[in-house]
Amino acid sequence: MSAAIIIQILLGGILVGGVYALVAFGLSLVYGVVRVLNFSHGTLLTVGGIAAAALFAKYGLNPFWLVVILVPPFFIFGRVFYDLLLRPLTRRSRFEATVGAVLVTVGALIVLSDVTAALFGTSGRSIPLGFHAIEFHGVIISITQAGILAGVAVLTVILHLILTHTWFGRAVRAVTQDALGATICGVAAGSIHAYTFAFGYAIVAVVAVLYAMIYPVDPFMGFSLTVKAFTIIVVGGIGNLPGTLIAGVVLGVAEALTAFFWAPQWAPGLSIVLLLLILVVLPRGLLARRRG
Amino acid sequence: MNSGGRTSALAAAVLAVAMFVLPLAGNAYLTTFAFTILISFVLAQSWDWVAGEMGYINLGHFVFYGFGAYTFCILLTRGVPLPACFAGAVIVTLAVATALAFPLFRLRDDYFAFATLALIPLAELLAYNLDSLTNGAIGLSLPPVYVLRPAYYIAGVLVVITAAATLLLRRSRFGHALRGIRNDEQAAETVGVRTYPGKLSVLLLSAVFAGMAGAVQAWQMSYIDPPTVFGLNVALIPIAMALFGGSGLLWGPLVGVLLLAIAQQWLLAHVQTLQATIYGLAILLIGRFMPGGILRAPWIARWRGEPAAGQQPKRAESASTAMAQSAVSIELPLPRRSVSRTRTLLECRGLTMAFGGNIAVNDVNLGIAEGEIVGLVGSNGSGKTTLFNCISKVFEPVRGDVLLDGTSLRNLRRDQVANLGVGRTYQIPRPFSDLTVRENIAMPLMFRAGERLRPASALADAIQFAEFSGLSQRLDTVADTLSLQEKKALEFARALACRPRLLLVDEVASGLTPAEVGRFVDHIRDIRDAYGITVIWIEHIFSALSRIVDRLIVMDNGIVIADGPLETVMRDERVLKSYLGSAAEHAA
Repeated sequence: MSAAIIIQILLGGILVGGVYALVAFGLSLVYGVVRVLNFSHGTLLTVGGIAAAALFAKYGLNPFWLVVILVPPFFIFGRVFYDLLLRPLTRRSRFEATVGAVLVTVGALIVLSDVTAALFGTSGRSIPLGFHAIEFHGVIISITQAGILAGVAVLTVILHLILTHTWFGRAVRAVTQDALGATICGVAAGSIHAYTFAFGYAIVAVVAVLYAMIYPVDPFMGFSLTVKAFTIIVVGGIGNLPGTLIAGVVLGVAEALTAFFWAPQWAPGLSIVLLLLILVVLPRGLLARRRG
Repeated sequence: MNSGGRTSALAAAVLAVAMFVLPLAGNAYLTTFAFTILISFVLAQSWDWVAGEMGYINLGHFVFYGFGAYTFCILLTRGVPLPACFAGAVIVTLAVATALAFPLFRLRDDYFAFATLALIPLAELLAYNLDSLTNGAIGLSLPPVYVLRPAYYIAGVLVVITAAATLLLRRSRFGHALRGIRNDEQAAETVGVRTYPGKLSVLLLSAVFAGMAGAVQAWQMSYIDPPTVFGLNVALIPIAMALFGGSGLLWGPLVGVLLLAIAQQWLLAHVQTLQATIYGLAILLIGRFMPGGILRAPWIARWRGEPAAGQQPKRAESASTAMAQSAVSIELPLPRRSVSRTRTLLECRGLTMAFGGNIAVNDVNLGIAEGEIVGLVGSNGSGKTTLFNCISKVFEPVRGDVLLDGTSLRNLRRDQVANLGVGRTYQIPRPFSDLTVRENIAMPLMFRAGERLRPASALADAIQFAEFSGLSQRLDTVADTLSLQEKKALEFARALACRPRLLLVDEVASGLTPAEVGRFVDHIRDIRDAYGITVIWIEHIFSALSRIVDRLIVMDNGIVIADGPLETVMRDERVLKSYLGSAAEHAA
């Protein structure tokens, strides 16, 4: 087997893995601050992907404009979702709050995928951009792939800058590390929770467009994406952007290798099996930082 | 049994007869509907053993159902006799549950919920891809034999066993262990509960019932494919039912199953589109508006004559009752022992504990004689509580060893250490917060090796410990609603109920008035004199220690800097410098 094929597979894996990592980072950001594990996170991405694909099919908008159109409604949806459905649960006992949040987000998962299927059908939709290929020593990369890679890089840098250089980002990191301490220092926890939730959904909107450029998106694949994101978080550490990126790329490459060398139909199960294995061997995660 | 109990027993008997006659008299539609209800109850209730009783939200419960269903169908289509098919379903489900328990129980709360939910798509993937066994997406069809009636009766038997198991579970020692785990696993371990076997057994138990339910229902439906047994919207229905009724309540799962099954039947008949949306919306709304279940809703609770959640009965006057007001001479159900002060009870050899680079306990060597009362002092962060945590195995020391009466604690678990006779209180109280004072104290009485009491006698004996600690007015109060002082008194009572030989007391007296501190000091002396309990007492109230301790140990930066009689230690220059700081320098 030639090196070019291996590199080709790795490249594909890195590409997908980068997108996984961004899906995971949105989930992890929200979990770190709000302490709600959002089971509908990946499903929201499929909604965004399908909406983007439909807009692309109808108006032929380029991905940049798709992002610009999708981000505001997702941001608002996140805010409203949190305020109406999750915020009231914070007043309940620990068990009830946990159960309540699980039920609300699982219920949202089922509703979102069923309604999307009813509106847009159950078949997969994608954003088929051009396939102009660049060849480099036998390794082929399409313009689309290059664009996605650039998109992942730009979004990662923007997220990093937001987290380290803005008031909001600092507040998010403070609440993630020590919610009580942050509150005492004047961070209004309630509003940070709501805005982080909305911010997480805005990230989902961006990633949805990138994702639909790689794979077709159907209404029922969302939960398997959430599972992948969760595996990545367990490996990479909550709120840890570099860790999440590494873990995402590792998962993407592992899936690509599984699909190529073994059987593509088993690739979707890889993340769950990996998750169980990691829990057996390293309960604290590979790159998890020690938490107080 | 009171009259209410007799009424409900009568109602249950009437219901049982009606259910028995139904398939003989009623039509197939009604019988099928009743069958669905029976299966749903088995699933919801067996799920709630893990969730409601033990506090682990297993969203992948349906995986066991699906494995049971598939195993049954695979065996039956290959000509295996019927009883063996059921047995096979149970065995495979047990094997799957055993294999999954180890990784899953490393997680808690929503992490556990998530990982278990992820098992459902994994199982679905297996069902799709293992074509040779499962026939992939086409599914498995059983020979067309009409089996509704026998399936119905098997389900009925399952329901009876499930209900009986639930009742037993609530009263048994095992059930109390689960409730301890639900509240605070570590605290349960330090009062002598061995947690992992308990968690494993309840998961296996719930898996067996789910697997049987899957087998029976597959038999009745005579056809299964991946979405019917592993689809997310079917898989979550029994869980939604249990939660809708009220998780952890005796009648919760049953009420939830009845209400939601009827609603579901109505929907099937009247709504054709967006059924999944309606299920999803129902689940979402249950989570948003009554995650505690309909039986915990204030209006239902009032109707049942119970205090609604969150509205605890008013406290009796003056919370300062604490442990301090009780009469001193209360007999405790503990073995009376007089001890020789020559025998070493506790020995630490080069004990070291580090967190990353921070060495909290550094090469500590100590010997404590049986019957001694030892004060342990030192500034905040000097390693006192960490030393306690190393002794009770809350932390695993990085180096060194602890010996209790010559037995090394190195390879022992927390419950084994507790059973050897180490009782402790936590600096920040950790009672089992949704249990009553009496249940809290009864927990160690039920689990302490040597003389494990039955739940009824443990609950009876607990009263004396509560009185000793001044909590006799609070016996049936839920621990979470106690004041801080009362929680500390409860910690003290619970530690005594461990029948300790060595009692580790961590700042129980801080916050008491001087008179109360005085009475607490008398308590410590009493338990040593009457029951031969050795005490190590961490306390910042120096005057209290000075009235009772035989010996004072001073720690600073993880090191023992002084150890000896009070008068000697008080004159030690290092102690004055580190512990009294600049005040000592002023005095000098």
